[in-house]
Amino acid sequence: MNKLLGPALTLPAVTFIAVGFVLPVLILLSEAVTVNGAFSLSPLIGFFRDPGSVEVFWRTIRLSGLVTLTSAVVGYATALAIVDSSPSARGRLIGTLILPLMVSPVARTYAWVVVLGRTGLVNLVVVGLGLSPEPLRLLFTETAVFIGLVQLLLPLMVLSLVSALENIPADVVPAARVLGAGWFTTFFKVTLPLTREGLVIGGTLVFTGALTAYITPAILGGSKVLMLETLLYQRIRVTNDIAAAGVIAIILVVLSITANVLLKRVAGGRSQ
Amino acid sequence: MMPRWLRWAILALVMIFLIGPFFVIAAAALHGGETLAFPPKDLTLKWVWKVFEVESFRASFGLSILLAIGGTALALVLGVPAAYALDRFRPKGSEAIRLMVTAPIIVPGIIVGLALLRYLVIPVDLPMIAALFVAHTALLIPYAVRVVSASLANLRVDIEEAAVLLGCSRIGAFVRVTLPNIKSGIFAAFILGFVTSFNQVPISLFLAGPGVSTLPIDMLWFMEFTYDPSVAALSALLALMSMAVVLVAERLLGFSRYV
Repeated sequence: MNKLLGPALTLPAVTFIAVGFVLPVLILLSEAVTVNGAFSLSPLIGFFRDPGSVEVFWRTIRLSGLVTLTSAVVGYATALAIVDSSPSARGRLIGTLILPLMVSPVARTYAWVVVLGRTGLVNLVVVGLGLSPEPLRLLFTETAVFIGLVQLLLPLMVLSLVSALENIPADVVPAARVLGAGWFTTFFKVTLPLTREGLVIGGTLVFTGALTAYITPAILGGSKVLMLETLLYQRIRVTNDIAAAGVIAIILVVLSITANVLLKRVAGGRSQ
Repeated sequence: MMPRWLRWAILALVMIFLIGPFFVIAAAALHGGETLAFPPKDLTLKWVWKVFEVESFRASFGLSILLAIGGTALALVLGVPAAYALDRFRPKGSEAIRLMVTAPIIVPGIIVGLALLRYLVIPVDLPMIAALFVAHTALLIPYAVRVVSASLANLRVDIEEAAVLLGCSRIGAFVRVTLPNIKSGIFAAFILGFVTSFNQVPISLFLAGPGVSTLPIDMLWFMEFTYDPSVAALSALLALMSMAVVLVAERLLGFSRYV
């Protein structure tokens, strides 16, 4: 009986996702490689021949990479500081990291409009201290998008590094120190290799998060600093160019799946 | 071990960076002037009241709540049996099934919304609300399966077998033995699903139009032509609401274990 019951119980969920999700997405992706119903690579070639699109493509990759790198460095320092704290403080700090993750990204991102705007906090300080005669233009720049993305995604990195650090056997680091390794040697030879998995998981979450972010570039970048998702939105809403949308969709899906497959390789490699 | 001062400095800076903007936005919401400013002058609550007076916010808030509750409930109805079957029976093609039920997390939401609009709403003449409901449910199934799977993995199989040996039916054993034991997992999945759906933007972007919109989408449109502090007031209210939900969930069942 179990032979039938197993598939039967998964059938509703699988059917729902197949019809309401996978099928429409596959049709959309096929738009990128068809012209008038016949196979053609011209939409793909067209996208990469258009300098504007290529610029957005590289900006998305560059910003996502930069956000991931920054999150890794800042996240590591934060995770080490959290793991060093007392157990009760640790719980509270982790709670504080989860809290912003649960708040609407629109609200979180809009906060930066207030901080970075012409009459915002940063300009108040800059003009007040006489560092600049007039308010700096901070909104609708890559810097603003970068700051917004780091704030949005940093908690994911810290959380996965904290759990990786907690899994290191308690006496490994003291042992290295007793045997004469300095702080840097211990970190690079012991701690870092033992938490590689957590770093990769956090890195994948942050990278794909930045890659597929819509709200942050939409609010803080506007039409001046487009990323792939905001470009896709524009292509549909302004020119209704479904082929271009299909191409961007393929790029996004391929990049996300690649990142996730790499993640599974690295994360699964050790536990199995 | 890092020096105490360094630890405190790092934690203080990071927490200010992560949490600080919320205080800034709450303060900006109270500004008495007509534009966004920080620090606020002539404190007032008028922008907070304005939020409640905007007709479209009331409608979109209602739709968002409806989608979040309905979508999560349906995702659980579909996801719990799937998680149970994957954990207990390991049917043929488990890997493929698992891949299928986690696919909605991997594919960027904006693509899903556009695909549903083009190939479901337009050809079948499906109402937008139904499409939003399908999209949100599909997105939430992976969360339901993952969180419930984690609870099931921590539950011993033999208590259910014992119930069956003692004369309980299979379904009876599931309802009376397994379900009560995974209920905090299901509750956590519900909270996680609710918050995920309520805050979701990309998937709803193309499925919302005049008259049918979720709250975050409505906020995005509103922002484009509003420069007064009412958007800040709404953001602050939303932040407070989500934080309240999370704090209550944390108190009740240690929610952070499941995230």
